[in-house]
Amino acid sequence: MNPLNLMRLVAPECILVIFALTALFMDVATLREQSAKVRQWVVGSLSGVACLTVMIWIACIRPEGSYSMVELPAVSFLLKEVLLGLTLVTALISFDAKFTRHIGEYYALLLLAAVGLMLLISSNNLLMIFVAVELVSLSLYAMTALDKTSPASAEAALKYFLFGSVAAAFMLFGISLLYGVTGQLQLDAIAGKLQTQHLEPIHYVALVMTLTGFAFKIAAAPFHLWAPDVYQAAPTPIASFIASASKVGSFFVLARIVLAGFGSARGGAGWGHLAAGWVPVLAILATVSMVIGNLVAIVQTRVKRLLAYSAIAHGGYALMALLADEQRAVSSLLFYVITYAITVLGAFGVVAMVEHSGGRDRFSDFAGLSRRAPLLSFCMLVFLLSLAGIPPLSGFFGKFYVFTAAISGPDHLQAFWLLIVGGATSVVSIYYYLQVLKQIYVAPAPANVGSLNISMPAQIGIVALAIAVIVLGFAPGLLLGRLNDGLTLVASNL
Amino acid sequence: MNELLGFLAWKVLFLPLLAAAVIAFFLQARPRLAAVVSVMAVVVSFILTVVLYAQYRNYPTVVQVAIPWLSIGNLNIEFGLHADHLSLLMALVVTGVGSLIHIYSIAYMQGDRSYARFFASLSLFTFSMLGIVLSNNFFQMFIFWELVGVSSYLLIGFWYEKPSAADAAKKAFLTNRIGDFGFLLGIIILWATTGSVKFSELHSILAKNPGVLDGVATAVSLLIFCGAVGKSAQFPLHVWLPDAMEGPTPVSALIHAATMVAAGVYMLCRVSFLFDPFSLQIIATTGGFTALLAALIAVQQNDIKRILAYSTLSQLGYMVMAVGLNGPSAAMFHLTTHAFFKAMLFLGAGSVIHALHHEQDIWKMGGLKSKMPITYWTFLLGTLALCGMWPLSGFFSKDAILSQAFDQGNYFLFVIGVLVAFLTTFYMFRLFLVVFLGGAKAHAVDHAHESPRVMSWPLVVLAVASVCGGFIGIEQFVQHQFSPSAEVEPIFDIMGPFAHSPAAAFAGLLVIFFGFSLAIAIYWNATSDPIPEKLPRLSRWLRNKFYFDELYARLIALTQDSLAKVADGCDRFLVQGLMVRGTHGSVEFFGRALRLLQTGNLQTYALLFAAGVAFVICFVLFR
Repeated sequence: MNPLNLMRLVAPECILVIFALTALFMDVATLREQSAKVRQWVVGSLSGVACLTVMIWIACIRPEGSYSMVELPAVSFLLKEVLLGLTLVTALISFDAKFTRHIGEYYALLLLAAVGLMLLISSNNLLMIFVAVELVSLSLYAMTALDKTSPASAEAALKYFLFGSVAAAFMLFGISLLYGVTGQLQLDAIAGKLQTQHLEPIHYVALVMTLTGFAFKIAAAPFHLWAPDVYQAAPTPIASFIASASKVGSFFVLARIVLAGFGSARGGAGWGHLAAGWVPVLAILATVSMVIGNLVAIVQTRVKRLLAYSAIAHGGYALMALLADEQRAVSSLLFYVITYAITVLGAFGVVAMVEHSGGRDRFSDFAGLSRRAPLLSFCMLVFLLSLAGIPPLSGFFGKFYVFTAAISGPDHLQAFWLLIVGGATSVVSIYYYLQVLKQIYVAPAPANVGSLNISMPAQIGIVALAIAVIVLGFAPGLLLGRLNDGLTLVASNL
Repeated sequence: MNELLGFLAWKVLFLPLLAAAVIAFFLQARPRLAAVVSVMAVVVSFILTVVLYAQYRNYPTVVQVAIPWLSIGNLNIEFGLHADHLSLLMALVVTGVGSLIHIYSIAYMQGDRSYARFFASLSLFTFSMLGIVLSNNFFQMFIFWELVGVSSYLLIGFWYEKPSAADAAKKAFLTNRIGDFGFLLGIIILWATTGSVKFSELHSILAKNPGVLDGVATAVSLLIFCGAVGKSAQFPLHVWLPDAMEGPTPVSALIHAATMVAAGVYMLCRVSFLFDPFSLQIIATTGGFTALLAALIAVQQNDIKRILAYSTLSQLGYMVMAVGLNGPSAAMFHLTTHAFFKAMLFLGAGSVIHALHHEQDIWKMGGLKSKMPITYWTFLLGTLALCGMWPLSGFFSKDAILSQAFDQGNYFLFVIGVLVAFLTTFYMFRLFLVVFLGGAKAHAVDHAHESPRVMSWPLVVLAVASVCGGFIGIEQFVQHQFSPSAEVEPIFDIMGPFAHSPAAAFAGLLVIFFGFSLAIAIYWNATSDPIPEKLPRLSRWLRNKFYFDELYARLIALTQDSLAKVADGCDRFLVQGLMVRGTHGSVEFFGRALRLLQTGNLQTYALLFAAGVAFVICFVLFR
């Protein structure tokens, strides 16, 4: 119980906070007189360096172990590196963003959100988890509102904030009920208590309310109402961060809570064999999300809104993974969510590039993109086909793995109805992705636009993501192997 | 030795991919060179396949090479190749017919501004198709299955400036996805119950323990059959194939006649050991029904390529029916001969279309016999082979299917098969008489001339194959796959069918005679089609393909679109109706924000949120 041990465990977060404050300070103190472009490059590069430094730090030191509320399972290195990588690319695609004059604040908030996410996956204590969720959320609310010239941006931020507060209230209420019945906040202690108790309705109420808060974070229907408007109105790099990095963190902590904390209140989701517990709750959320997300996406005519509904649907697919037994659930969920995050970040990156060149995110702004920016269009093709689950891209393998995981769990073939929903809705989904691709490749470009000017960092970031999507499709073992290595260590206490 | 063969098999598979990559990355601006690279790749692939085949004939041991691809828990997937009777025969068809069509395309696509892109896509297709053929497990097959779908999408939509081509490509892709969805679910259940996706393992598991699929056997069989229904365009997913004719004609010949659409049949043959009697019955009936439906529709089409497309549908129906009648070897036999003569017919049609400057309406052709002698003679041979005229290849393979139905005692499907043979002869001679004989029906015909030699000699090679394909032992070769111990019948036995199933053979020949006579009676020297006048209602139904496209469009509009609109409406109502909706400047925004807090919309939202939570709690507790 050496407090220095705690410092060792949370050093990455501390370093990132120092970088965030430096970015803030530098912008205010030294760069005031400089042009926006110089400030973007200096502060943006600093944020990039921050992410890289911490990634290297984690790779070298590999902090592991637990101290009080902090507990780092082995898989957390990988997750933190993924989160930092996603943050890095978000910073790269923000390089020539024009949505705000508050450049220092923007990058500082981005780094602070990353710190929140890292703390979120570092903790096994509900209180700490709640604080981390709020740190992430507050940063995201503020970032959503950063575009002060756009009323829509402010409106979306307010909406996000109000919806988020309601969800937070429910989550907190659930946590306090849980504390009331078990007297514990540590997940493993809660699990121990629940095992010995007879499960009363109050347990289920506590459970559902806690899960509701996370259902909001991952935008699972019917708690998804904020997502389309926020994705649509928030500056695109921020929307991409909400859709990618924040999803990875939220899904992991959701898995951790249900698997490590509520293990004995599992229930069942077999067709005709629904049994009370968290599994039927997640199965219902998954079904509703897949159906609503994919159906509503069909009639969208704005790319960001379409991606928002597709994100809701993908949240549904990812939730299916939690029906599996513990280890497979975590590995298939994380594989799905990580590849999804990479893909969707790339797709938003392409949208951001189109917007920087004077377009918006309507379908017509993408008309003839393949002639204006061939490389970027090809990347978009890769991203969208991967989202649609076309092999051999990583999205296909993710779906396949989640589907097989879902029916290899305790419900076995009785959970097959979820696969039918998942399969049928993914057939529907291909339709709307093709609509976008049709604009990019088939529709003629408007006469008065030239080729896109894309800054080098953004281009590198997007191409790297596209390569990752392809490589993980051909060799999913690269990521899965590491995920499984991490999980073998954590299986006992997760 | 085995290692060398394995190495050859890898080469067969990857040469076309290499060609596609080289063209895509380096040769976009060098179209002639791109064509050479693409043709070389497929020809070398063909030669290597022949080597593999020759080796295999001498030492028939199954070649399997595999590298582990992924192994997590109990999910073990290999990337492997499997060369046996079935896959070698199919690989020969794909690379052999593929080579001829590649060569034909050199001249046919001459002058197209995306010449290099065409050959890159064609090579990509060849690679994916060989991937399906050589796969040793379901997972890998599914990946190539989708890749074939993607390359077919690229090739149907090759002239994407034409809206009809872009739409046809999308329709083909989406329709196929519906079938693939079932296919994937089938594979997943199969894996969940047996723990394997590898064909040889599945085979031995089922042989050892036939009860392993109890309870899900029918579901698995039918779901896997879904894949074939999509890819081989069986009813009710048959609607995409005729529209796919929007692609360039060599593509129609290679993909939508000879190889890709046959992939469904090939897959069914590959896993024929899986199917239970009930699903075999469904498979056979679906095949028979598709054969009849398509043959009927073909009778009243006027576009030369669409007639051939419906004829393809109908012949695929035959093959699927054969699989359902426990005759996978008959199905593979017909698949092979059909690949020869249907590819030839399409290339012949392409030759006509090329000569007439992209005219496809048969009523604007006529009298081409003297202008295009090679095309004329090869087309005649192809037509006769398709109708099943003795001693051309179609006779033997169709007879194998009909006698299979007869021997199984399934007289209903036997009669349907014979009826389809009648219709086939009728519509094919209608096509033939109108296009090649009689007087010229349009001015373009006067300037028509025979196609260049690079287009006509593939026709001749295919004609030779279509003539001889029936009695060179193809069926005997593939029979080994399904009944290794059966005695080998003599090959070169051109009278064989009359000896062991006279009913099927004579019935087949008799209906050819009737069909031919009827076609002569109606269409000899005809300048327009008399049927629409005499039988207006029937003709209208047939011309409109029994209104399937309209029905599906209506159904989709009714279900998917309206559901989507309703769901979208709800979402918009909930979000925008209850929350702030201001985009006219910040003053109004803050006004609205305040009003929001005052008028209680926030409470409404919180109420909705709580209602959602209450719903979930009730669901969990009281269900």
